[in-house]
Amino acid sequence: MTSDIQELISRYLDADLTEFEQEELQRLLRSSSQYVDDFARAAQLHDRLHGEMTVNAMAEDVVSRSEFARPVQRKVFKSFAWIAGTVTAALFILGMGWFGADFSTRVTAGELDRLIAAQASSLDRIYRIAVEESVQGKNDPTPSDERIRPPKPPINGATLYVRHGNQFVLVRTANDGRSFVTGSDGRTSWAVRPDGPVRVSHDLSRFNRDLPGHENDVPLFQMEQGLEQLRHAYDVRVLPAETDDGDTAAEQAERFIVAVKKKGHRGPQRVEITYAEKSGLIREMRFVKMPYGPERLTIRMTLTDERELAADFFSHASHHSTDRAVEEE
Amino acid sequence: MDDQTRKATRYWTLAQPVVSAFVGSLVRDFAARDDVLQETAVAVIESFDRYDESRPFVGWALGIAQNQVRLYLRRRQRDRLVFDDDVVLLLAEAFEATAPEEQRSLAFLRDCLQRLPERSRELCELRYFRDLKPSSIANALGMAPNSVAKALQRIRDQLRECVSSKAATEGVTG
Repeated sequence: MTSDIQELISRYLDADLTEFEQEELQRLLRSSSQYVDDFARAAQLHDRLHGEMTVNAMAEDVVSRSEFARPVQRKVFKSFAWIAGTVTAALFILGMGWFGADFSTRVTAGELDRLIAAQASSLDRIYRIAVEESVQGKNDPTPSDERIRPPKPPINGATLYVRHGNQFVLVRTANDGRSFVTGSDGRTSWAVRPDGPVRVSHDLSRFNRDLPGHENDVPLFQMEQGLEQLRHAYDVRVLPAETDDGDTAAEQAERFIVAVKKKGHRGPQRVEITYAEKSGLIREMRFVKMPYGPERLTIRMTLTDERELAADFFSHASHHSTDRAVEEE
Repeated sequence: MDDQTRKATRYWTLAQPVVSAFVGSLVRDFAARDDVLQETAVAVIESFDRYDESRPFVGWALGIAQNQVRLYLRRRQRDRLVFDDDVVLLLAEAFEATAPEEQRSLAFLRDCLQRLPERSRELCELRYFRDLKPSSIANALGMAPNSVAKALQRIRDQLRECVSSKAATEGVTG
């Protein structure tokens, strides 16, 4: 046991004290206002460190991610230019944070507006969903009613169809191979389960409740709404367009947005969006540590196709036989 | 947004760093801290009409945060506050008193972090970005848990010295 107050405070903040040492810390805090001030200062440093390290890791992640995404057949000498560009981009991100980010805020707001508007003009898009990581939360915040629900169909491997106006169809495959389809045509939401009646509701979030994101106002499947939420609850940074060496068509050029959740908000810890610079077409979205019941999921949505689907594709009738009973709620 | 809400939001934005640190020091889990902080923000905005503007806003917000921490721990049932109520009150007063100077000094933290040796930065990343406790870091790095705890304390001491020195040089303390 130690009674060095600085060590006790340090180890307390790391949740590393025995019960007896906690009692000792409490006794010492009662004995001196200087110790209480020391505690308050140490806790403020501790808290700020968390924020700073998150920003740092975000910037480093941007660098490594860009490196990974680079086509492998580039000529060697070109990689110099790319490294310089990427480092400049990373410094840009850090610099934006360092200088109060007034300029960054304007740029980001404009870019988000453009991205939201682009969703309205895009063709229908099809995404493949992959769960990269699933971690059981240290603190299980699962509401009791969540625990008694039937198992959720797996989100890994699901296919998501998206149309502007927050229309979507999500096709998941249950463990027995049967499809579980949920969706919205922008006027109603609906669920076509393998068994039982088709359920339809005018509450557009009615059948989102077993999907990641619904608890946090970051609906995975309503992109425009999700992008709006980034504006309010996230610290958003736009990586400037890559300066390429001329052999990539302008249509192929990509931009990258990284959004880190602000304190006091819920949702995935980080959202990353890769999109076409020119058209605003979202090619990939990644949600890092998204709360999902007691789990924290890291989910990647990758664009697999962009085309015009049938006009009625987003209505429930397109996803079940005509003899199925339909119950309106 | 009406004027009153705008004013509450402005006050809250300024108070949030210290309230965040206070809540974090009681719940000691960054995810839990975020949850409580969100509840606190909502409570602050909703009850702003009861705030007496002749008194410091930070102290008032810290009072609300204390209640939210208690509510949170009560909901969680299996956790409890480590400190008794009288000590929590002492801590709230100390956070309020030290915040202005401390928050100004901590503006230099990013610069100080960049001056840390690589190994220290790695420990910081594991502790503060990956949110690992010393025992988990020790497992990951093949170190003794006690060595990790001491190393983290040493890093924080170095950072404290760095930010204080820079703040003194820049004349922002006091």
